[in-house]
Amino acid sequence: MNLLRRFLTVSTSDPDDTRRRRILNILVVGIGLLSLFALITSLVPFFLGVLTWENVSLLITGSVVTIFGTLLIYLINYFWSGRVSATIFLVFLTLLFAFTDTPDQISGGRSLFAFTIPIIMASILLVPSSSFIFSGLSGIVISVIALSIGRFPNIPAIIGFFVIALVSWLSARSLEAALKELRVINANLDQVVIERTRELAEALERERIEAGRNQAILNSIADGVVVFDTQWNAILANPALRAMLEIPTELVVNKNFRDLIEHPRLSPKSRHLLYAMMEHDTQPPSFRVEWGEKTLSISAAQVYDNSKDRHSNIGTVTVFRDFTREAEVEKLKSTFVAIVSHELRTPLNAILGYAEMFKEAIYGPMNNKQVNMAERIMKNTQRLLGLINDLLDQAQMEAGKLTIQMAPVRPAELLENLHGVMDQIAHEKGLRLTSEIDDHVPDVLNGDGARLQQILVNLVNNAVKFTDRGAVQVRLFCPYENKWGMEVSDTGSGIPEDELPYIFDTFRQVEGGATRVHGGFGLGLSIVKQLVNLMNGDIHVKSKVGVGTTFTVTLPLVVPAENLEKWRNL
Amino acid sequence: MSQLALIVEDDEDLASIFAEALRGVGFDVELVADGRMAQDRLINGVPPFLILLDMHLPHISGADLLTNVIKNDERFAKSVVIITTADARMGEAYTEQVDFVMIKPISFVQLRDLTSRLKPKEQ
Repeated sequence: MNLLRRFLTVSTSDPDDTRRRRILNILVVGIGLLSLFALITSLVPFFLGVLTWENVSLLITGSVVTIFGTLLIYLINYFWSGRVSATIFLVFLTLLFAFTDTPDQISGGRSLFAFTIPIIMASILLVPSSSFIFSGLSGIVISVIALSIGRFPNIPAIIGFFVIALVSWLSARSLEAALKELRVINANLDQVVIERTRELAEALERERIEAGRNQAILNSIADGVVVFDTQWNAILANPALRAMLEIPTELVVNKNFRDLIEHPRLSPKSRHLLYAMMEHDTQPPSFRVEWGEKTLSISAAQVYDNSKDRHSNIGTVTVFRDFTREAEVEKLKSTFVAIVSHELRTPLNAILGYAEMFKEAIYGPMNNKQVNMAERIMKNTQRLLGLINDLLDQAQMEAGKLTIQMAPVRPAELLENLHGVMDQIAHEKGLRLTSEIDDHVPDVLNGDGARLQQILVNLVNNAVKFTDRGAVQVRLFCPYENKWGMEVSDTGSGIPEDELPYIFDTFRQVEGGATRVHGGFGLGLSIVKQLVNLMNGDIHVKSKVGVGTTFTVTLPLVVPAENLEKWRNL
Repeated sequence: MSQLALIVEDDEDLASIFAEALRGVGFDVELVADGRMAQDRLINGVPPFLILLDMHLPHISGADLLTNVIKNDERFAKSVVIITTADARMGEAYTEQVDFVMIKPISFVQLRDLTSRLKPKEQ
């Protein structure tokens, strides 16, 4: 079929020309084959002796002429010009019809219709208007034939030729117009397809570049990144994670997080933490797990899709960071602080003890100056011990090692101990230290006695430090049913308003050069605030320069079960 | 009743201060500076009336001595046991098992006053 199509089709730049030449080719090939068939059917009976040469000579000559004629037209059509070949073909056809019947019949009878064939074909094989030329040619031919036998030309037939030419011109023209329109539509459609294809290709390219860039960013991050869907199936992991965990990515990607959690390198405690992370939507921003010899810090963040109307969770991004070195340093630091504080405290205890022995005149009577000097040694040693305790507390809190241990506490005892520690110090500055407990405060409540005591002592110590005359008042109270509080107010110098936001900062006093007169690291209030936070409480400060300062600590109130009934009845 | 007080403390200065406080009250004082030696002394010697035991000691810790020797032997049932430690948390953990817990820094006067109340009246 392809070969036949190539045999019949002539490719040109003009689609109309191509169409016409193809039709002409089909016609001439068809006629040529018919002639070949006629030649064969006339030669066979001639050679068999059924028919004589006189019988078949006309048919054989006609067939041979037609075969060569169509071959010539085909070659002209194929290699040179469709217009010339079509013209030759149509003229040939017209002349052929002129000789296929008697002149009598041609000028006025049954063969007239044959002339309509080249007229109609002309509108198809040449330009539509050429049908008029061939109607004219046919008119001339029949007129010449009629005149040659002494007849008047057949005027109605000539008019009929023109009418047929008109009809075929109109139909061929509209056909060509329709084809042209179709071609335009096709061309537009092609243009649209080309544009859409180009746009799509560009979009794909942009997408590819964007994806490539995101992948490159993910690949170059030093932290391990895993992205989970809402069912905790890992959909993405970067090379850093593989390097950090020292396992192939296949063990992570397309697997559920549970498979990773059950990996033997993970410590049981870490496993517990990771399951907790999976099960709770709210989780600490980051936590640490033990992976073999390594300590990894893990932070997880929910991913939300904000592009649609709804604010939906589409998964979780977890970032693994190698925290091994930091963890070692931290451990070293807290060990260092513990050793240093122990090693510092032991000799200080000895200094304190010997000074007391002096003061107590163990080895014989002492004069007043000597006793006074021993007291100064003791006081300074106590101060130094206080500072070391503050540093140790701060270090423990930074390492997250300081914990609150709840046990029944008697508020009255907190105040008794406070007086035991602070009365002397307040008295030496000429200050009054008073305390009271509101009726609603229970006799016994749950709390960390040592830490509550520390809060009270630090606040009162601070108040005494910044007060030169007047009093320091301590009050324990119950502001609401499930809260209790400690209030420490003084008549001291007060805190300027612009300083208030910073008073709980670590080492604050050290930074503010002007306040150095009072000594200390400035850790006291910072430790108080951190302890209060650890107890899930709040601390507030109100102050007026020249009038005084009031610190208020509010804590959750839990009364031990066995004391509850008694407290309710109050 | 014996007037013997055994001080188990590895720091020489603290041991000397504690000893002075106890002697001042009227105890006979015996000093041991090491966990292993303290164990030998406790097992083989006369049970003291008062044991002042540091929780942090070389070789055998005070905590181990308390659990494995003192609490394990009827001979020490009547002895007054005071432990000394710098770790307040640790001290809290032992309040039920011993007579007194003293958190370092320990005051000479405080120790002297406490032990003078504990000392049996002389016949």
